[in-house]
Amino acid sequence: MSTAAAPAASPTLRLPRRPAPLLRHALRTQRWWFAAVAIIGFVSPYSTGATFLAAAPTAAARASFGHATQTLGAALTYLIPLPRRPETVQGYIWWKGLAWLTLLFAAWGLGAAVSLVRADEERGVTETWLASPVARVRVLMSGTWAFLLATLGAASLTALGIGAGLEAARASAGTAAVVGQCLPLVGIALACFAVGLLVAQLAATRHGALGLGTAVLLVLYALDALARVNPGLAGPAVISPFHLADISTPLVPGGSLDGAATGSLFAIAAILIALAALGFAHRDLYAPLLRRRVRAAHLTVTPSGNPLYRRAILSRLWQQRLGLMGWIGGTAIGAALLVSLARGVGDLLTSMGGIERILATSGTANPSLWVVSSVWFGVAALVIAACAVTQVTRWASDDVEGRLEMEIAQPVARWRVVLERFVALTLVSTLIAAVGSLVTAAIIPSQGLHVGIGPLVLATALLVPLALSYGGLGALVITRAPRVAMGLLSLIAVLGFYLPILAPLFRWPDWLQDLSLFHLYGTPLTTGVFWTGLWIMLGIIVIGFGGAMLAMSRREISR
Amino acid sequence: MSTDAAIRTDALSKDYGGGAGLFDLHLEVAAGEVFGYLGPNGAGKTTTIRLLMDMLRPTRGRAEVFGIDCQAHPVRVKREVGYMPGEMPQWGGLRGRDIVAHVAGLRGGVDAKAVSSLATRLDLDLGRRYREYSLGNRRKVGLVLAFMHRPRLLMLDEPTSGLDPLIQQEFFGMVEEACDQGATVFLSSHVLSEVERICQRVGILRRGRLVQVARLDELHRLRYHRFEVDFDGEVPLEAIGACPGVDNVVARDHHLTFDVHGGVAPLLRALGTGQVLNLVTHEPSLEEVFLAQFRDEPHGATEPAGTAR
Repeated sequence: MSTAAAPAASPTLRLPRRPAPLLRHALRTQRWWFAAVAIIGFVSPYSTGATFLAAAPTAAARASFGHATQTLGAALTYLIPLPRRPETVQGYIWWKGLAWLTLLFAAWGLGAAVSLVRADEERGVTETWLASPVARVRVLMSGTWAFLLATLGAASLTALGIGAGLEAARASAGTAAVVGQCLPLVGIALACFAVGLLVAQLAATRHGALGLGTAVLLVLYALDALARVNPGLAGPAVISPFHLADISTPLVPGGSLDGAATGSLFAIAAILIALAALGFAHRDLYAPLLRRRVRAAHLTVTPSGNPLYRRAILSRLWQQRLGLMGWIGGTAIGAALLVSLARGVGDLLTSMGGIERILATSGTANPSLWVVSSVWFGVAALVIAACAVTQVTRWASDDVEGRLEMEIAQPVARWRVVLERFVALTLVSTLIAAVGSLVTAAIIPSQGLHVGIGPLVLATALLVPLALSYGGLGALVITRAPRVAMGLLSLIAVLGFYLPILAPLFRWPDWLQDLSLFHLYGTPLTTGVFWTGLWIMLGIIVIGFGGAMLAMSRREISR
Repeated sequence: MSTDAAIRTDALSKDYGGGAGLFDLHLEVAAGEVFGYLGPNGAGKTTTIRLLMDMLRPTRGRAEVFGIDCQAHPVRVKREVGYMPGEMPQWGGLRGRDIVAHVAGLRGGVDAKAVSSLATRLDLDLGRRYREYSLGNRRKVGLVLAFMHRPRLLMLDEPTSGLDPLIQQEFFGMVEEACDQGATVFLSSHVLSEVERICQRVGILRRGRLVQVARLDELHRLRYHRFEVDFDGEVPLEAIGACPGVDNVVARDHHLTFDVHGGVAPLLRALGTGQVLNLVTHEPSLEEVFLAQFRDEPHGATEPAGTAR
């Protein structure tokens, strides 16, 4: 027999109070973006400054270089602002090293805001916060403060990069000028963050918010770009954060920080954040601010009759049809834009002098063809790599979000899942590369160039092993650590992009460049197949996907 | 192994370290049986199902489904199985009908009429996007995916979690019909009442070990009677405590509560030695029996003497 004992008084357990958990959570979600932007923010101005002396070692060379850059800038004015004093290292860093960084900071702002609002909501994090005695405004403001802190950190590293670049070019600029040049970066990041916060209140999902936000930023970017070539649009362009960020040039000799424009960036951010907070306060959780009333509809009880769902690979592609159309459309526009600039840029390069040195190893004596081969197909390689990274991210989320478990629960061999991913990526990259090349083939005659079908097909076809190399690496990574796949692959892509730029600067051994997949792709349009590169890429593909098949067969599937 | 076993495990173990996992599971589920797999959270129910589905790899031991080795021939096993995970995947913006078509495409041999019938019974609108589904509707999608190909074995991880009582009744009907058609059902749960409703046998798992396998009527033997007695004057505590099967005796002034397992004749004689003013007795539900079995036992204090089969 046992008898009951009186319950002992248990001591009250008090968890230690930790400071600002909302802020820490928001900072934690920013860490990968912060790392990427900070690294690029440092490397871009630094590498630009470090290459300046090699490009223009004497005063005469600088004048010529400045003139050439000015003309080149005029040809690229649809994309980035016109160069200012490019014959000086400060002006050159501002134009080549910093001007495009506004796009990066803007993209970061949008992504961070959408993640704060929609991704946290979809993960149930926001509901947990709001279930504790935390006001909605505080959730939003903590995320905003965290983003501001992260942006200030990244901008500080950019300032250090500018300083290091100037030092490498044996030049200097005042601290105020350097810091002042980074202020618009913080401003545009915050303004785009605010745009993201607002559109995230209007969209129902993370992808929807990201799509809507991207569309808004593209319109604002286009407004700025059009205003550069059409002064009549300068008035309306003041609503574009890109325009307001481009105005300030304190780093450039004779330039200055436009206080009104920079202040406007922060004012726009403040207004939009306030509106977003208002929207957040008035909407339902998990719902957009404006929602359609659900109409009574008849019950659908039959499975979809779409035959594409019956085939695993086609089903994969169909499920991402909108994204695919975006990639294909973007590639087509990019090809049209860059190839249509080939002749102008080629003429400009000819006028620069010293182009012969570049052309000597490029497999062509025609600078315009070099532009198509190196610039357009270089961009195409970047696009293909980015697309491969998004595919790998999708595979990783299949794993993390339980869809892989449901696939494996069907009578499907595990290796087949990897094979289907391989085939799907092959189809996606072929489709994107083919569309880009078709546009190239259509526009290239207008530039007075003739490219045989063979080299064009070769340059297009070799983009596929490039994508599959990233896919192979990703497939291998996600068998061990699906959650880090996207960050790791993005890092590999960023480092791979910069490696061929930095290696000659620092006189690193040639083999080091072979670590860059972009270097392995080469310039097949003009130099043919870079066989070493192709073999290495094929090796990566075989090891990556083969290893992934083996690992998939042996690993455990568990969330 | 007997050829009519739907599931058979032999010393099946998955050691996660730190005492967590599943250890030396010997289990046999007959074809056509509805088997309830019970245990508190973290007992190892999902681990067992995932081992049978070849999602996890055993540390030692083996598992078979219809005589097919789960690790050696997982694809053959999955042809026979309808699986519903404990946690449904996230399909985002895909509509219910697209998800069903996609999974049916992977599996093959799914009759659209069977899907329609299931969706109608479960009152599930397949035209809506997955992210718009409530938790219960997501579980319904899981049930449709598990039942739609009329599998020989249904492996369901906490299938009624999130379902409203009406749909739970429909689910019980679906299980009974599947059983009538010869299917075997292996379902995990920590809700004894639902297991009591449909299962023929149950296995009770605790801290990774199978502590009991019994038919439901056998499990009822675990039941006991709870007595509450008020005495006028002195309480015959010693006489009552000495009765066989008396346990958990709590005395407060002239009020006595205790549990009695087995016969009550000796107890009635002991009660007669005192002046009984009031006597109330009731039989705890199987749920209470189950809870009493697992409540307040320190780790390692009640390890089973052997592995139940």
